[in-house]
Amino acid sequence: MNNTASWADELDESQIPEAQVIENQDGTKTVIEYRIVDGKKVKLTRRIKEKIVQEHVNRAVAERKKWAKFGAEKGTAPGPNIASTTLAEQVSLRLSQFAAQKQQKEEEVKEEAVGPAKNTRILCRVCRGDHFTAKCPYKDTLVPMEGIINQEANAAAVPAASESKDANAYVPPHMRGKTGGTLLGESREKRDEFPTIRITNLSEDVREQDIRDLCKPFGYVHRAFVAIDRVTGDCKGYAFVSFIEYSAAEKAIDKLSGFGYDSLILKAEWANSSGR
Amino acid sequence: MIPILLQGHTRPLTQVKYNAGGDLLMTVSKDKEASLWYTYNGERIGTFVGHLGALWTIDCNKSSTLVVTGAADNTARLWHAETGRMLHTWELPTAVKRVEFSHDDRYVLMVTEERMGHKSGIYVFAIDSSSPEQSNEPVVILRPSPVKATVAAWSYLDKYIVAGHEDGGLTLYDWKYETVVHHTQAHEGTITDMQMWKDGTYFITSSKDKTARLFETKTLNPLKMYKGDTGINSAAMTPTQELVILGGGQAASEVTTTSSRQGKFESRFYHKVFEDEVGSVRGHFGPINTIAVSPDGKGFASGSEDGYVRLHHFDPDYFKFKYDY
Repeated sequence: MNNTASWADELDESQIPEAQVIENQDGTKTVIEYRIVDGKKVKLTRRIKEKIVQEHVNRAVAERKKWAKFGAEKGTAPGPNIASTTLAEQVSLRLSQFAAQKQQKEEEVKEEAVGPAKNTRILCRVCRGDHFTAKCPYKDTLVPMEGIINQEANAAAVPAASESKDANAYVPPHMRGKTGGTLLGESREKRDEFPTIRITNLSEDVREQDIRDLCKPFGYVHRAFVAIDRVTGDCKGYAFVSFIEYSAAEKAIDKLSGFGYDSLILKAEWANSSGR
Repeated sequence: MIPILLQGHTRPLTQVKYNAGGDLLMTVSKDKEASLWYTYNGERIGTFVGHLGALWTIDCNKSSTLVVTGAADNTARLWHAETGRMLHTWELPTAVKRVEFSHDDRYVLMVTEERMGHKSGIYVFAIDSSSPEQSNEPVVILRPSPVKATVAAWSYLDKYIVAGHEDGGLTLYDWKYETVVHHTQAHEGTITDMQMWKDGTYFITSSKDKTARLFETKTLNPLKMYKGDTGINSAAMTPTQELVILGGGQAASEVTTTSSRQGKFESRFYHKVFEDEVGSVRGHFGPINTIAVSPDGKGFASGSEDGYVRLHHFDPDYFKFKYDY
């Protein structure tokens, strides 16, 4: 071993055995090569089947392939010269009928990504189009939209801001009842108006239908809620039942307190908010 | 698709052209040598050395034995394609901007620049392919008017010569009688390139007015128009698919004076009939000056201001593309 050689060269030359080529009986070849990939020696075994493909070319074209090199390439070895011919990076050509639209969209996305500071959108005050208000074709026929919105805002108590926003824009929970739609806050208040009892010491297997069955004899059950553990899916041991009538709820408390159900003794009382 | 990058030139490309068989590619640039390449592997066969100025144009005959080049040194030269030997030099009054062999290889046309008091001209020389000696006497000189011609091409049966002018006009000459058959204002800007369909019955022109258009040769009737968003330097038609390829982009000198969108140094594919853009190929980092499509339709080459030629062989997907109508 030559001591003056760099340790890197030493690694390259000393540890890579020569490639082996084994001719198999079925006409294939097995090539065993050793390479160093990321500092690790890798054995690469390839089974190769050689197939001769005949290509028909024009006689003149075949003749031209034998031309000797001249000019700046004179004397260079046959085959592409890496000084003048290299492979570029792969590019894609996806032909599509809608290429133009897709490209436009991509550009828009790119422009948006640049940031709002650069992206000064032109918005017409009359028709909300992307041109200057002065150039709007509806300038004379339409009253500017902002004016209309303001008028509406003054006339009705509906807030203009939420009106002009998208339907699916975020609205904080406490604002939700005010723009129409499902009145979540209200429904909670309404729910509490019904006489509600709390039943505790329920067994794990209790489901909503069991509670409804249990309470049906006392009166119409408006709502039955069984606390279910989200992880196990078992009952957490308590439930709330809302009745329509106050007397039914009273009767239920009376009968269910101390009632044996699923080998457990239930406890029934007024739920906190309806506390009486 | 992995393009082959041909780095044979040191200055902006001015023209790339396939031979009739599609196995050779000729390229010329503003450096003083023309290059000849094999298209299947991008190997350079050689360079044609002898010109003293920037080369503007190149063409070869149908049998790929003779090559003619036109340059800014006020000469056009004839070369033996196989050996790169120079056979003849034509001295012209000004730079030669476009050369093209006629379909029967008996003539070659040369478009000259308007400069130093000399008017622009379209010179037609007879080619004697049996001997290296060529006649220095033009068969015909056409004088384009009112403004100079930038490009010219042979029509079907070599009956006419179509010239494209600097002001965007097109003229159809019955060249043997030196008469103008038609003249039309085709574009609003300089015509940068003109490529005939293989039978010479219609052709595509590209222009600085950001459009490329298709014209019928016989009447110069406009057939189609393809809109780009920068000046178009070259347009080519693909033989197997009904597509056209446009190349262009903003010149570096114009970047600050035109739109904020930079670059657009792509080869853009349009449907020939429906005029819709259907795809594009990126790669160049300068405006594309010249595009050529292989006569077998299996690939195309683009030459750019950046000094590179990119030689593309289409993927199988390309041949499966169908426009739904």
